[in-house]
Amino acid sequence: MKFDPAVLVDYWPLLLQGAWLTIQVSAAAMLIGYVAGIVVALIALVPGWLPRLVTGLYVETLRNIPFIIIVFVVYYGLPFWGIRLPATLVGTVALALFASAYYAEIVRAAILALPRGQFESARAIGMSPASAMWHVVAPQILRTLVPPSTNMTLTMMKESAVLSSITVPELTYQSLVVQGNTFAPFEVFAAVASIYWLIAAVIAEASRRLERRVGAVQAEAVSRNRIADRYLSLVARKN
Amino acid sequence: MSATPVLRVSNLTKRFHGVTALDQVYLDVHAGQIVALIGPSGCGKSTLLRCLTWLEQPDDGFIEVAGKPLGRELMPGGVVRRQSRRQIDAMRPQVGIVFQQFHLWPHMTALENVVRSQIVVLGRPRLEATERGVELLTRLGLADRMDRHPHALSGGQKQRVAIARALAMDPALMLFDEPTSALDPELVGEVLAVLRSLAETGMTMLVVTHEIGFAASLADRIAFMDHGRILEEGPARDIMAAPKEPRLQNFLDLVRFDRRIGRTTANPTE
Repeated sequence: MKFDPAVLVDYWPLLLQGAWLTIQVSAAAMLIGYVAGIVVALIALVPGWLPRLVTGLYVETLRNIPFIIIVFVVYYGLPFWGIRLPATLVGTVALALFASAYYAEIVRAAILALPRGQFESARAIGMSPASAMWHVVAPQILRTLVPPSTNMTLTMMKESAVLSSITVPELTYQSLVVQGNTFAPFEVFAAVASIYWLIAAVIAEASRRLERRVGAVQAEAVSRNRIADRYLSLVARKN
Repeated sequence: MSATPVLRVSNLTKRFHGVTALDQVYLDVHAGQIVALIGPSGCGKSTLLRCLTWLEQPDDGFIEVAGKPLGRELMPGGVVRRQSRRQIDAMRPQVGIVFQQFHLWPHMTALENVVRSQIVVLGRPRLEATERGVELLTRLGLADRMDRHPHALSGGQKQRVAIARALAMDPALMLFDEPTSALDPELVGEVLAVLRSLAETGMTMLVVTHEIGFAASLADRIAFMDHGRILEEGPARDIMAAPKEPRLQNFLDLVRFDRRIGRTTANPTE
């Protein structure tokens, strides 16, 4: 047996289709997940024990269960309430749920890491909590958010492979199809691995640019300590 | 003296997990007065300021600013009603506070620090807000520092930006939390000058400090606080010359002794 990439010639459109769906599903899950994550984080910061308990349960539930089980629970659970949705939609929602728990923790931690006086001074002058968040807190945490959010987005994009098990025709699903037709698993999975690698590299580069842009606005304003800067940033430094 | 005080605090009580931080505090500050609130660490001075801005919710008692209730109000028939968040936020610009650590917003220039809340809270047009900001910062000697971010300002300059930020809301009352403690000792004279110039404009002020010399040279009246209660309150001269309350006598003796052996920061009046 020898390595023969030629077997892929007939099947590359299928793999591209799968890759495109992986990108779409991940992008949608990122958007939905981030919005949900911000909402959960903000609720968690409302004073009182109830909001913290509810959001804590939400986050812990999603974090303590393997992603594939979350997918199965949602996919096989919905029909119990008579809801039948396309697998791709269910898969995207499951992925968004999963990511939202981690995004929520990232956002919450970033807000809590900001000195309390920042929010308080905005409130004391008469800003509403929403205005204080928008004008004072949000601009200061943007840069802190980028690196951990990127890590989570990469993890989530890779976890989307699990959706193949509920017949979402994304990249992994298509690779299994191609592999079944060609009986050339190594060639197929090597090709698929490269495609995943490429998608991840693009996300990482986009994030690096984003961090630089947000950073340029902020660098003048907030100087972090140099060690923290080195380890919290994805932008490569010279020294 | 006008009948309605700018600040009227009555029966204000605050407990933290069973520890009483404020114990039935009564305090009136009249228009144009500077009242210094002195007392040992942990006596409740800062808690009082936090309650006056409703950053801390007092458990009991009432606050009135320029005759209007803040936070909690007495309804006809003796019912006590908690104000809504909107009502409280609407009252907040009336009480300007300058925090010990200033809490300027580091992502904005000095001018934007002063301008932004005018736009967001008072709904002023940006042009008008900017004009007001420039005027205030110029008055406070920061005309050439307006485009700087807070990290590029000295401690004293930061404090003056924080003062301008609060003044821009046209408050009825200004609160200062330990205005000398975050600055170098040699700047105490500068702080004193800034607060005095504010006083000349007729601003009413409540200044929390533990520096007796600073309080004595600035304030019209001094209130002494210990264990969450205001134990003695009166004209600054009387309080310094003839304290009646034994704990205040003790406190003054201690501080004066500290100063003789050079333990507290320099006093500009000496």
